[in-house]
Amino acid sequence: MATDLAPPPVKAAKVAGHKPDRARTLWRYRWLYLLLIPGLAYFFVFKYVPMRGLQIAFQDFVPFLGYNGSEWVGFKHFVDLFTGPDFNRLMYNTLYLAFLNVIFVFPAPIIVALMLNELRINILKRSVQSLIYIPHFLSWTIVASLTYILFSVDYGVLAGWVHEFLGGQKIDYVAQPDWFRPIIILQTLWKTTGWTTIIYLAALAGVNAELYEAARMDGAGRWRQLWHVTLPAIRPTIVVMAILMSGNLLDMSFEQIWLMTNNLNRGTADVFDTFVYYVGINQGAFSYATAVGLFKGVVGVLLIFGSNWLAKRLGQRGLF
Amino acid sequence: MAGALTLATALLATACSGTGGGGESSQADANTITFMTKLFGTAPNPQGELHQAIEKFLGKKIQVTWVPNADYQEKVNVTLASANIPDVMVVNPKSPAFGKAAAAGAFWDLTDKIKKYPNLVGDEQVLLNSSINGKIYGPYRTRPLLRSAVMIRADWLKKVGLEAPKTTDDLYKIAEAFTKKDPDGNGKDDTYGLIIPKWPGVEFAASNPFNVIDVWFGAPNNWGERDGKLVPEFDTPEFFEANRFTKKMIDEGLVNPDWNTLDTAKWNDPFVQNKGGIIIDVDVRTTQLLDLLKEQDPQTYGDKVLTVGNLSRPDGKKFSLPFSGYNDILAVSKQRVKTEAQLDELLKTLDKLASKEGQVLLSNGIEGRNFKVENGEAVLINQEDPKVKQLQDDVDKAFIQLGTQASTGTTGIAYPRVPPEAPYRKDLAERKERVAEDLKTAVFDPSLPVVPPTLVAKGATLNPIVTDARIKYLAGQLTEEQLKAEIKRWYDSGGTQIAQEINDLVSKLGQ
Repeated sequence: MATDLAPPPVKAAKVAGHKPDRARTLWRYRWLYLLLIPGLAYFFVFKYVPMRGLQIAFQDFVPFLGYNGSEWVGFKHFVDLFTGPDFNRLMYNTLYLAFLNVIFVFPAPIIVALMLNELRINILKRSVQSLIYIPHFLSWTIVASLTYILFSVDYGVLAGWVHEFLGGQKIDYVAQPDWFRPIIILQTLWKTTGWTTIIYLAALAGVNAELYEAARMDGAGRWRQLWHVTLPAIRPTIVVMAILMSGNLLDMSFEQIWLMTNNLNRGTADVFDTFVYYVGINQGAFSYATAVGLFKGVVGVLLIFGSNWLAKRLGQRGLF
Repeated sequence: MAGALTLATALLATACSGTGGGGESSQADANTITFMTKLFGTAPNPQGELHQAIEKFLGKKIQVTWVPNADYQEKVNVTLASANIPDVMVVNPKSPAFGKAAAAGAFWDLTDKIKKYPNLVGDEQVLLNSSINGKIYGPYRTRPLLRSAVMIRADWLKKVGLEAPKTTDDLYKIAEAFTKKDPDGNGKDDTYGLIIPKWPGVEFAASNPFNVIDVWFGAPNNWGERDGKLVPEFDTPEFFEANRFTKKMIDEGLVNPDWNTLDTAKWNDPFVQNKGGIIIDVDVRTTQLLDLLKEQDPQTYGDKVLTVGNLSRPDGKKFSLPFSGYNDILAVSKQRVKTEAQLDELLKTLDKLASKEGQVLLSNGIEGRNFKVENGEAVLINQEDPKVKQLQDDVDKAFIQLGTQASTGTTGIAYPRVPPEAPYRKDLAERKERVAEDLKTAVFDPSLPVVPPTLVAKGATLNPIVTDARIKYLAGQLTEEQLKAEIKRWYDSGGTQIAQEINDLVSKLGQ
C-alpha cells in the first residue's frame, strides 16, 4: 500500500515544475531548520514568554495574589507616570544622554576606523586596534571604580593633576551634577569605541582596492578618496548601526549610571532604567516599574521603525 | 525595554502559581522548616556540625536559604514575588513589598497569638515598633536600643591637647584642631576631623551621621511632636540649626572632601590610615577600629580609640539618638503553614529556638567544642582545629542571623563573648555605662509602629526629595531658602498626606 501511494506526490511535484513546494524545501533544508530551532527557542522562551508579565503594568500587582488574583486598574500607572513629578526629569535626562550619545559616541568608532585604515604600518595598526578594544572586556563595575580612583576629590590622581595645572578650587568630579554627563560619555567612549571600530574596519576591508586605484588615476588625493570611495562603501554599515542604535536610544547603560549615581547628582543621573530598578526592585512597586519599562519599550520600537523608514526614504536599504 | 522585560521575567518565572495551589515545595516535607536569612560569610554546609546540632535540638529538619547581606532586600522582594516563600523569613517589616504581601494575606498576623510564646514576645514597645500599624507579623530580632556614639582618635586628641567632647562645640573644636594642628605629626597638612561616607539608600531618617547631629540639636528623631502634632525631623528650626553646624564643618574643610562618594565599606580606612580622626556611628564600630589598629601596631592600639556617647548642644541640653530596638522580624508565610495547628507547631519550634539553650547554639556554638563557659562568659577554645574554626564561622557569619534574641554585636540571653585583650574589655564595660546614661535623654520616634499608605504608594518619588536636598544644601549647591522650597515640594507632592496619616495612625494606636 505504502509503495503504491508514495510515488504520486513526487510525480506531482515534478509536474508542478518550478513551483516551490514548501514541504519539499523544508525537507531539503531540514538540517538548516534544525539549526534554527535553538535560536527560535531562545527568543520564544526568553523574549516572548516573559511578555506575558507585561500585563502587570495594567494591574495592581500583588505577587501573592498572582496574575489572576491581582486587581485590574487599566492605565492608572501610566497616568501616574505621565502626570507624576518624575516623568519630565526622567525624560529630559534620558533624552539628553541619548543626544550626547548620538553626537559623540556614535561617530567615534567611524572616525577611529577611518584613521586606523589610513595607517600603513600593519603592526602599529593591529596593536592600536587591540589596545583600544580591551576596555570592552572590563565590566562597568571596574570602569566605575577606575573613575572613582582617578577622579576622587580626595585622592584622585587625574583630579590632582588637573588641580595642579589649572589651580583654583578642587572639583569633586564624581559628585558634581555638571560633571555627570561628561564623565558618562567619556566612560562610554573609552569602553565601547574600540569594539565597535572592529565592525567598521571589517566593512573597510571589503572595499575594492581597484576603486582606490581608479580614483588615484583620476588625480584624487587622500581626502577625495576618503570622501568618494571609502565613505560611500561603508555607508550601508553606518546606516544599519544607526538604526540599531536608535532602538536603544532610551536604553541607557543601567549599571554604568547606577554605579555613578549619588545624592548630589541623582537629579541629573536618574534615567528610566535606573528608575525602574529603584521603584521595582528596591521599593517593590512592580506594576508601576513595569509600566515605566513598557512605555520605554514602546518608544524604542517606534524609534526603530521610524529610523528604518527614514533610512529607506533617504534611499538606503534599511534593516527590514 | 530591557528593564521591563527583566522585571517581567523575574516575576513570571516565579509568580505563575502565586494564587496558591501550586505552593507545595517539592524538597520539603511537613517535618522540615524552611528559613531565609542573611549571610555574612560563606553558606554553612547542611551536613555541618552546627546545622546537625540545631536539627537535633529542635527535633526537626531545617533548610535555610542563606542570602548575602548586601543583596538581601532585593532577594526578599524577588522571593515575595515567587511561589516559594520560605516558612520563616527574616524581613524588614517596613519595606513596601513586605507590607503589600502582608496586606494581601501572604503572612500570618500574630498580633493575638505571639503572647502565648514566652521567648518570642520580647519587649512590648519594641514589639509594637516592629509592627505594621499595630499588626504584628512576627517576633523581632533584638538589637540594642541605643547604639549611637562618637569614635575619636585618642592619640590625636592628646597631641592637640584637648579633652573628650561633651558638646557639639567641643566636637567642632576637636575637628578644627585635627585639621589644622597636624595631629599625626608628619609635618604635612593632610588630615581632617570628621569622616562622613556616602550614605546608601534614600530614606530620610537613616541614622546616619547627619541624623545623629540633627537629634543632638533637638530635632525630632524622624517624627516628633510640635504644638500637639507630629512633624517630620526636617520641618523644625532645630533641624536647620543642626545643618548649619554640619555645613560649617564641611565648608571649613573639617570633613573629608569626598564625603559624597566615600564608600561606607571604607569608612574605617581614613581613621586607621591617619587621615581623619572622628567617626559618628554605632558604638560597635569601636571593635572594628580596634581590630584594624591592632593589625598595624599590637602594642599601642589600645590608646588610639576613644568612644564617647551622644553630645549635648551648645546650650548644654542633651538629646540622644536611639534606634528602633529591633532589626528585622521573623515572618511566617501562609504558603505551607496553612492551618492554625501547623502555625502553633511552628511557633513552638521558634520559641524553643529562642530559649536560652537555642540561643546559645545559634550565637555561641557547641559548648565544649568551640567555646567553654567561664564566669558566665563564653571563651573560645580549639580554634586551631580547622573543623572547629568552620563551626565558629558558621556561628558568627550565619546562624547568629537566625536568632531572635541575638544579633551581631550583642549576645542577648546567650553567653557574652568578651575578647581577652584589655582594650576590648574596657570598651565593653564603658559601653554599658554610656548606653545607660544616654538612654535617659533618648528621643524616641513615635512613628515607628506606623506605615502610612501614601508612603508605601509614593515613597519612591517622595523619599529622595528631602534626602538629596539636604545633602545638596550641605555641599553648597542649595541655599537654605532652596532647601525650604524642596521641603515644601515634599509636602505638596504627598508629604501633607503622609503627615496626616502618621498623625491619625499614631493617635489610633494610642487609644
